[in-house]
Amino acid sequence: MDLVTQSVVIGLTQNAPLVLAAIGFYLLYRLTGLINVAYAETVTLGAYFGMWANTTFDLDFFTVLLPAGAMAGLVSVATYLLVFRPAKQRNVGMLEVIIISFGLSIFLRHALQFVFGYPVRFFDVPPPDTIQVLGIGVSSFRLLALASVGVLALLLYWFIQRSRLGLQIRALASDESLAQASGIRPLAVTVLIWFLAGLAGGLAGAFYGVGSSVAPLLGWRLFLPILLVVLVGRAWGLGGVITVGVATGVLLAGATLQFGQVLYAQLLIILIFLAILKMRARRLAAVEGVAV
Amino acid sequence: MNLAWLDAFLIFGLFEVMMFIGLALLLHLQLGLARIANFGVVGFWGLGMYAFGVSYVRVDWPFGDPWQFLVCALIATLVAGLAGLVVGWYIADLDIDGALVGTLGFATAVAILATTEQELTGGALGMGGLGFPYDIGTVKENELVWLLVTTGVVGAILFFVWQVHRSPFGRLLIAVGANEPLARSLGKRTFRAKIGLFVVASAAMGLLGALFGVMVRFLDIGNLGVEITLAAMVGLVLGGTARVWGAVVGIVLTVGLFDIVVQSYLPLPREWYTQALPVLREAAFGLALMVVLLFRPLGVLGEMRRDRLMKKLHGR
Repeated sequence: MDLVTQSVVIGLTQNAPLVLAAIGFYLLYRLTGLINVAYAETVTLGAYFGMWANTTFDLDFFTVLLPAGAMAGLVSVATYLLVFRPAKQRNVGMLEVIIISFGLSIFLRHALQFVFGYPVRFFDVPPPDTIQVLGIGVSSFRLLALASVGVLALLLYWFIQRSRLGLQIRALASDESLAQASGIRPLAVTVLIWFLAGLAGGLAGAFYGVGSSVAPLLGWRLFLPILLVVLVGRAWGLGGVITVGVATGVLLAGATLQFGQVLYAQLLIILIFLAILKMRARRLAAVEGVAV
Repeated sequence: MNLAWLDAFLIFGLFEVMMFIGLALLLHLQLGLARIANFGVVGFWGLGMYAFGVSYVRVDWPFGDPWQFLVCALIATLVAGLAGLVVGWYIADLDIDGALVGTLGFATAVAILATTEQELTGGALGMGGLGFPYDIGTVKENELVWLLVTTGVVGAILFFVWQVHRSPFGRLLIAVGANEPLARSLGKRTFRAKIGLFVVASAAMGLLGALFGVMVRFLDIGNLGVEITLAAMVGLVLGGTARVWGAVVGIVLTVGLFDIVVQSYLPLPREWYTQALPVLREAAFGLALMVVLLFRPLGVLGEMRRDRLMKKLHGR
């Protein structure tokens, strides 16, 4: 079995939720220009909400997906209304808002341990079957996750790029005052975006959580990859974020197979993406005639 | 020396307060003056800690302490300074997003390497073999002396930061933070200033990491979490990012309150100390960061003296 095929199959099935999380993060970033560090906890909360609904009400994983995503979406909206909106109304600078989101992230990560307990938790799901895909054994569960993530990502893409509400979202992100003059209600649309972002992040968290374990650092460990995917992919819009997300998953799997160590693969991804961002900045500086 | 009256937890608590004051002072130069958010403080500190530990334990030096300590501490400082040069160069022409991703990426890279390079760092098992570069008696006496040494280093950092405030370099950093394109258009070498700032601050953070390594005598990758960056940042923000003493006041009010007053003097149930208290500490720090920046963004001490003077002179 060649490395490329293995990387594609493993990368897509294992890292599909990364694409979903990146879409949610991109929505917020596109609208507010803000790197919301607390988005990491939206992902974590999605996993916790899913695990809680699964183990408390004895529901199967796919039944708890929607409530888990919706609850994470509601938390996301609450953070906007209670923290980020007041910060905007008080004209808090962008740097300070990023630090506020960092504080919120830390607060949520530790506060949730008082609610859900300190130990690592697990979903209560039956052991999955193994299905051969291009000669590689993949758990049925991961395949279902890939299919679900694919459908959800396409739905979100369609909603943002093709629907009327999506048009309003993009208009608001481009020019708030012009959008307001066109009859768009900024608060309603902004709340919708925060909900959708939370929904996407929460669903990604639930998919990651069921594949491994549910722990307070789940979202934080994914935050840097999500951030890098969005910062690199944003130049080509939502489609670019999805493409870069998929490529990252495949590259991560390939590098893990090559090095035999997932941490080296993560290091490689970080270095490649940081290099891309630096080269892009230098090219931009050269165009603008800024001496570096 | 009879130190029966002195609690060992108090010595370590005071050491932590001193170390975080040092980190917050250095962060003050970056965040308070140049307005660069360094989310990778733990990376520079941790790199210094491990560079010290690896060179102290793994290298067969032809001489013993205190020279061995001094050489290894110098190596830690130089390695962290070199990392500051690279990271400073990386973020010098990037915006806030770039600085965040660059510093966060660096801290993640350090944590990954500390975990994977087991032959050097001990990986997840940790690395022992460190010790004080002297032996004057009991562990408590040695720790007390080490606290005094660290206090001296942090005092030197405070003096340096104080001098920077009054130097042309400090004024350039303030100009970079206020309006970098304007400073650049006036012929100021802003990129060079930012790189220089990162080299110096990172080197000192690395030295503080080495001092911590000696105090704990066992290096653990669990120390490389975001908690180090958070504690330095929340202390600085609470005290006031724009003021030198903001770092001191803020760290005393946060780390001092939790790691000394709450940990040592409050009559809390014993089981709280293992999990509830550390979790509560981090949650409270996160909440404090939010509340201060929302309701009193200049912190307890407020704005810079020169800003107050300008307002007085110009009436705005």
